[in-house]
Amino acid sequence: MSHEPSGRVVKIEIDGRVVEARTGEFLLAVARRAGIDIPAICQHEAVDPAGNCRMCLVEITKASWDGWSRLVTACLYPTEQDLIVKTHSAPVIEARTVLCDLWLARCPDSAYVQKLAAEFGIEKTSYQPAAVPTDQCILCGLCIRVCEKLGPAAIYTVNRGGRKKVAGPFEGPPPDCIGCAACAEVCPTSCITVAERDGTRTIWDKEFQLLACTTCGRTLVTIEEARYFGRKGGLGESYYQLCDRCKRLQTAQQATKVAGLPLTVGGLGEASGRPFRSPGSLTTSR
Amino acid sequence: MSATAAAPAIPEPDLAPVDAILAGYPQTETSLVQVLQDVNRTFNYLPCHALEKVAASLGVPLARVFSVATFYKAFSIKPRGKVIIRICTGTACHIRGAPLLVDEFVRHLGIRAGETTPDMGFTLETVNCVGACAMAPVVIAGPRHHGGLSPADVPDVIQGKSDDD
Amino acid sequence: MTTSLPARFGVPQELEARCARLKAEREGKRLTILVCCGTGCLANGSAKVADAFARELHARGIDADVGLAFKRTGCHGFCQRGPLVVMMPDETFYQRVKPKDVPKIVEQTVVGGKVIATLLYKDPNSKQRITRYHEIPFYQKQTRVAMRNIGLVDPRDLRDSLARGAYLAVAKALGAMTPEQVIAEVDQSGLRGRGGAGFSTGRKWRSARAAPGERKFVICNGDEGDPGAFKDRSILEGDPHSVIEGMIIGAYAVGAHEGFVYVREEYPLAVENLGHALCDARAAGLLGRNILGTGFDFDVQISRGGGAFVCGESSALMKSIAGMVGEPRAKYIHATDRGLFDLPSVLNNVESWSDVPVIIEKGAAWFAAMGTAKSKGTKAFSLVGKVKNTGLVETPMGITLRELIFDIGGGILNDRPFKAVQTGGPSGGCVPAHLLDLPIDYEKLTEAGSMMGSGGMIVMDDRTCMVDVARYFTRFLWDESCGKCTPCREGLSQLQIVHDRICRGLGREEDLPLMERLGAVMETAALCALGKSANFPVKSTLQYFRDEYVAHVRDKRCPAGICKDLTIYRIIDEQCNGCGACLRVCPSKAITGKPKQLHALDQGLCISCGACFDVCTPMNAIAFDPRPHAAAVPPAAPGAAPARRNS
Repeated sequence: MSHEPSGRVVKIEIDGRVVEARTGEFLLAVARRAGIDIPAICQHEAVDPAGNCRMCLVEITKASWDGWSRLVTACLYPTEQDLIVKTHSAPVIEARTVLCDLWLARCPDSAYVQKLAAEFGIEKTSYQPAAVPTDQCILCGLCIRVCEKLGPAAIYTVNRGGRKKVAGPFEGPPPDCIGCAACAEVCPTSCITVAERDGTRTIWDKEFQLLACTTCGRTLVTIEEARYFGRKGGLGESYYQLCDRCKRLQTAQQATKVAGLPLTVGGLGEASGRPFRSPGSLTTSR
Repeated sequence: MSATAAAPAIPEPDLAPVDAILAGYPQTETSLVQVLQDVNRTFNYLPCHALEKVAASLGVPLARVFSVATFYKAFSIKPRGKVIIRICTGTACHIRGAPLLVDEFVRHLGIRAGETTPDMGFTLETVNCVGACAMAPVVIAGPRHHGGLSPADVPDVIQGKSDDD
Repeated sequence: MTTSLPARFGVPQELEARCARLKAEREGKRLTILVCCGTGCLANGSAKVADAFARELHARGIDADVGLAFKRTGCHGFCQRGPLVVMMPDETFYQRVKPKDVPKIVEQTVVGGKVIATLLYKDPNSKQRITRYHEIPFYQKQTRVAMRNIGLVDPRDLRDSLARGAYLAVAKALGAMTPEQVIAEVDQSGLRGRGGAGFSTGRKWRSARAAPGERKFVICNGDEGDPGAFKDRSILEGDPHSVIEGMIIGAYAVGAHEGFVYVREEYPLAVENLGHALCDARAAGLLGRNILGTGFDFDVQISRGGGAFVCGESSALMKSIAGMVGEPRAKYIHATDRGLFDLPSVLNNVESWSDVPVIIEKGAAWFAAMGTAKSKGTKAFSLVGKVKNTGLVETPMGITLRELIFDIGGGILNDRPFKAVQTGGPSGGCVPAHLLDLPIDYEKLTEAGSMMGSGGMIVMDDRTCMVDVARYFTRFLWDESCGKCTPCREGLSQLQIVHDRICRGLGREEDLPLMERLGAVMETAALCALGKSANFPVKSTLQYFRDEYVAHVRDKRCPAGICKDLTIYRIIDEQCNGCGACLRVCPSKAITGKPKQLHALDQGLCISCGACFDVCTPMNAIAFDPRPHAAAVPPAAPGAAPARRNS
């Protein structure tokens, strides 16, 4: 669902503070802009909100509602005039507490879930924890939405209800996966494993050859990723022949040649230790 | 993907009918569920390569096709037996003894619900209400509805079907 | 000579004239034989009965008799007594008809005009044989509006429906009313969503009409997923034209030109009959371009559901029509603004659509005169479970549960004590005996902790374990949940685990408050209406039948004798007369004994199914007790539910 705020400026109240927003704008964005913290797991600025995790539940009411209120997910609720929002009321905290308790039962081994639950005072789940070590996925669906947004749409949910999980077609290595690892990057519980060794990357049980910089030999992106984004972005595969640093060096060399100046590598700054990011990669800023 | 032990590997069928099915629908994602219905009915399940064909033809990512194929209960991604025995487990059937029927079919066929006998003769399924509640408990064996069953009738239902074959 | 259809009706007057002529033609028949070919009767073998009639009439050379008509109709509702054969105009009602009875019926009744007593319905309470349809208690209190034509028309013959006045409301609405007038009429009738939520149909239409946009949709929800309900199936199978007619009127009112009917794949006959009806309506100019020459264009296509309860939820249904997985979306923006393909859409239940033409034809006041203060008109119910007369029923709103179950339903099977009636499907609850005089309407059922839902009424007796019922619904919902949001998916997993252990005798007293707390959060935190109500079956059983939970948890006892791990059966020696009934039904051959001699039950072989108990009604020589050392039963592996195809 595409979402366009209709733009009229209105005033709403969040936790006692009057905040300006445009009608139709999602509450979570409004609150964050005002510096009000609402926890959210399955939300990411790169993709449309889905309302899967329910962590960003807030209580809303209006003066005209006769004391009636309800819980809505801030990530999806469109702002409207006179809304009164409570982000940490008792029903909200109760709901978040039970959610964390449920996740802890699902993924008892997940460090992320353990930490989250601890914030709500839960050390041990009230429910029956999964006996078999689970894959630590809480089915927030971020990986799927990111993969879809980038284009390959290689993974999706499989089954439904209590048997739902994230997987490739036939629950095997996804043929459309380009190995970009954006899914792993956004996964809150870090349950998508990416292994890099000897110039290869393995993700979703699929092994990819990594391209190496033709100059310095540092590994860049998978061949499939280079091909995919080279085509999609109209860059051509040659775009990925050099790493960022060597590319800058090359540009500088050419510039120097034109200007007839001597070149010192140090002048371009140290190569960063961070892995290369493709133009399609996403960064988390949670 | 791991196939159930009870479902033996059978060769992928001739996929020509898939083209004919696809030709009858607009080539968009909107047709996906309807196309899969027809494919599922034609083959009694959704063959792997048929899904690939459908994905390519409708321009839907294969992962999404597989997602739809596993979301809806009408679809099977495993080959099914000649006779599909569907035990209704709707509420009316439940309180009139459907769970006992499930146990009896499991005992007689030696397979669990969702599985197929090694000879590909029978597939046992449970279905959440077929809307024949007035005749509870109901079992649909092949094309035939059986109403008002008791556990003692189970061998007859299985036998009856075998006789037809 | 029967009147054939014109190629197309060019103007409303042509339709009206043809309807009148077809009606007169049908009323002129000396005898009309109606053979029920609904799913229920077909299952009982009615196709063979119908074939036998066709053969017999032909053999006697009376199949061409203009005074005689023979029809295969939709469901008469009294499925339990099928195959049903009704002879009009005398309403002679034959039940449990077998093909071998047909020559006799033709000989004695059709030709000879005599009634065959042995084929008549025998009232189990009065022991009287009843001749006429409307004298049967099951039908006496019924008022059929949504189901007005079912059983009387051949769903494959448009002329039959026209003779009953089908599409006259379309002629009236399109020919003589503005869309606003149509909406006002529906609004004033007080019609509320018959799928269960009870939202005002008129208001929904008004929002959709007001929504900006050229392209809008009307959709019929035929994804009757509530287990125990089958009214929509029956309407689509038996009278598809009423639904199409309602949709044309709705489309005209909101300004839509495209319609979808979403039908469960489990209802093949409904898909078939509806498809046939759509073709006929199109050919007659009742669908398509320039309907009845009024300049209004509208057509309908069928979307077959893939078998998912969650697709009964409107946003999930719309996703399914669009070819996607049926995951609901947050409905902070209504479907009337952004529904199917993000365009304004009106979704109504099959029964609601079927009510619309009558409201237009007879007027809002006529409809609103029936029912209660806030729930107007009639409602279709499927009366099933442990009740004597099971089948489909339509009565005015406000009928009490007692009237429905004891007058229409004839009381409880084997005259056992009534315990509860489950209404509203998996989003509903169990209403206990002390609320039997509750008038059935949307508000009253909600107040009682249940809901109207799809009109399923599942009657339960003392042999129904309420903990088992709650466990059943929890399992059903766990299986059917889309799995998108945390509270519904994980909450149901945990509710199921807790119920499993309680039914195995491993429950703990703290399990009850644990479930209550979890349920309360599911109610407020889940994404869609199904998730928010997924807790209701548990909540209502905990509210009304807490003592049964306590018996399971504290005493390790199942009061109904249903939970196998907690129950053992035995024969009461002094009461057994050796009739052998138990021995015949025992699936595990645990009962032995010679005729007329005391029978014995081998505990080692007994699987505690209770089949023996249920057949030993005359002697009551079987009893059940709590299983000793029930707590020793090993727990099931967590999450280890019976396998499903994809697991």
